[in-house]
Amino acid sequence: MRIAIRHQLSFTPPPGTQHAVMQLLLTPQTGPSQTIESWSVEAPGIGNAGRFNDAFGNMAHLVNQTRPDGPLTVTVKGVVATVDRHGVLGRPGGEPVPAIYKRVTPLTKVPAGLYSKFRNSKESRLDILHGLMARVSEALGAAEDESQTQMQADGKQSQGQGAVKAAAPAADYAHGFIGAARALGIPARYVTGYLAGDAESPAAFHAWAEAFDDGLGWIGFDPMLLLCPTDRHVRLAAGLDALGTQPLRAVPAGDGTRDMGVTIELAP
Amino acid sequence: MGDTTPFDEMHNADGSVREPYRALAQWLDEQPDKALTLMQSDAEAIFRKLGITFAVYGSDEGTEKVIPFDVIPRIIAAQEWRRLSKGIEQRVKALNAFLYDIYHRQEILKAGRIPEKLILQNSAFCPEMMGLEPAKGVYAHIIGVDIVRVGPDEYYVLEDNLRTPSGVSYMLEDREAMMQLAPDLFQRCKVAPVENYPENLRRTLDSVAPAGAGSSPNIAVLTPGIYNSAYFEHSFLADQMGAQLCEGPDLFVDGGKVYMRTTTGPERVDVIYRRIDDDYLDPLTFRPDSMLGVPGLFDAYRAGNVTLVNAPGTGIADDKAVYTYVPEIIEFYLGEKALLNNVPTYNCTDSDKRAWVFDNIQDLVVKEVHGSGGYGMLIGPTSSKAQREEFKKKIEARPDNYIVQPTLALSTCPTFVNAGIAPRHVDLRPYVLIGDEVRITPGGLTRVALKKGSLVVNSSQGGGTKDTWVLED
Repeated sequence: MRIAIRHQLSFTPPPGTQHAVMQLLLTPQTGPSQTIESWSVEAPGIGNAGRFNDAFGNMAHLVNQTRPDGPLTVTVKGVVATVDRHGVLGRPGGEPVPAIYKRVTPLTKVPAGLYSKFRNSKESRLDILHGLMARVSEALGAAEDESQTQMQADGKQSQGQGAVKAAAPAADYAHGFIGAARALGIPARYVTGYLAGDAESPAAFHAWAEAFDDGLGWIGFDPMLLLCPTDRHVRLAAGLDALGTQPLRAVPAGDGTRDMGVTIELAP
Repeated sequence: MGDTTPFDEMHNADGSVREPYRALAQWLDEQPDKALTLMQSDAEAIFRKLGITFAVYGSDEGTEKVIPFDVIPRIIAAQEWRRLSKGIEQRVKALNAFLYDIYHRQEILKAGRIPEKLILQNSAFCPEMMGLEPAKGVYAHIIGVDIVRVGPDEYYVLEDNLRTPSGVSYMLEDREAMMQLAPDLFQRCKVAPVENYPENLRRTLDSVAPAGAGSSPNIAVLTPGIYNSAYFEHSFLADQMGAQLCEGPDLFVDGGKVYMRTTTGPERVDVIYRRIDDDYLDPLTFRPDSMLGVPGLFDAYRAGNVTLVNAPGTGIADDKAVYTYVPEIIEFYLGEKALLNNVPTYNCTDSDKRAWVFDNIQDLVVKEVHGSGGYGMLIGPTSSKAQREEFKKKIEARPDNYIVQPTLALSTCPTFVNAGIAPRHVDLRPYVLIGDEVRITPGGLTRVALKKGSLVVNSSQGGGTKDTWVLED
């Protein structure tokens, strides 16, 4: 599948900021499930950006802007060709040892109820992971229905928040799965990316998980959609959790990053 | 170790003077009455003039004290030092190899020599460091190893300080003061110099500059600011090695490189000797609320455009829980037996062990896993019943927060106190520099517990310092 992506993010440094610094994790890499045909990152100061590989094998930009005036907007555009590998990525080079993805972070602490029934399981790791995905989907699905109702009842649900808010439940699902896997001693990581929409789910900036199997290597699991990533998933960055994989991080943070929306189209 | 009679560094058991102390003993005999008292007050005046003070946390704000200085030097024979420094060199090489490994392939974990959990779940482990190639492969460039002596040839390492060890300015100023106070004594003893420490520090920092920095890299000392208890040392070292002293806001990142704001415009910085903790280094990568750091600094480091000294994440190698594995670490990376002893260390998480600890607490030292500076510590033999009961409660509440060690009979050195010259317990912190080569300054900082019988040498707890002499052959 060929997927055309356009994604815009912005943040507004507080008035009087002398020096604003942004870290971007917005550059996807060619891998087993995808080939980057074209990709561009536009941002004020991008021509002078520092480029580096972070600890998790992601390509990152460090962009700075002196005395920024108003919002700083980042636009990424590109075309990615994907293949459906049923989530199996193997062992791509340039990545840290899988074991570090056993580290439990504050965002990946989960209640034992999510994983306890798998603790002494005799099943294969692959079966356990599929079981975990179903368990997380079930547990969070119920919780989400409640919170949706709650939010509407409170009348606080705001309009037009864009994809960052839309991705929030995806983050919860991914964290749930990752936390449960790590609690069982299985390396699992948080993955950001794009999802090409279909009849059931709209195109979005998205998040899912990958877990490590000694035989197959890294395998993707999307607990929100209850499936292994398909050719509708474009993989952007990986890390320990959502905090470490934010697409745009800035100092001074101002009111935080705003997602201006993403458009994803199937390219001919 | 079970023997409780401390080793006297000056006297043999029969009362005769040990060889390295002979010249000193004679010199002391020749001093007229009151000479040492006069020296002591001269010393106080010298230190006040030098402005070497430190802030005691928890005391009245703005209280600056001069660390008590003892006018009688501690003396280590050339032969003794050779053995000791060999042991130190072995240790720091192994610890750097360990850091390289756990931030790359983690072979020591795969081999099951250290429990994986101990490293991966440790708050001192810094995942952001994975895969980074530090210049010359060195993570900890400046190390202060805390050592105690319990016999003629028996040393124990208490702690390997690989984060931002302080106190080296006291080592230098103690020597400076001693040379002013007793120049004639230096005529009689051939003392190895320590004055070249700043020069060696500069050399070490130069040697780990990023590729392309040129032959004379630009060095900055990054301090949290004037309210830090070691601010004097930061400014002293910057001054001594001809580097810029700066605070976070003086530095900025542009185009992935680090610059210093100067009156003549931005100046590129190649190496940063940072005296700020990891968490506060860079609000973009670490604690977002840090006002002390430089946004983007860590990314510039990852991009290979600046060297941070010491590297972030070195604390995993001096973590109290990892400490017990140092002999294992030395064997794994160097294929050698550890030359210096580790203090046997126990945890209290097991309830049987805890019961044993409670029964024997009057003979043990209890330390907080993440404590330092002698805070949050119980020394059984000198503790009160109330203190012991308090610690039992603390351990019961958070067993994993404490480790327990036997009380070591720290060696004593002659010390000038109110009652005259008397033995007092000492420890030693030698300073090690690691860059293109390993440079160990002969001696180091000797800390002395001035209270009779006390084993707590920390300056924050009533300890003083002594000039430390390593004799040359």
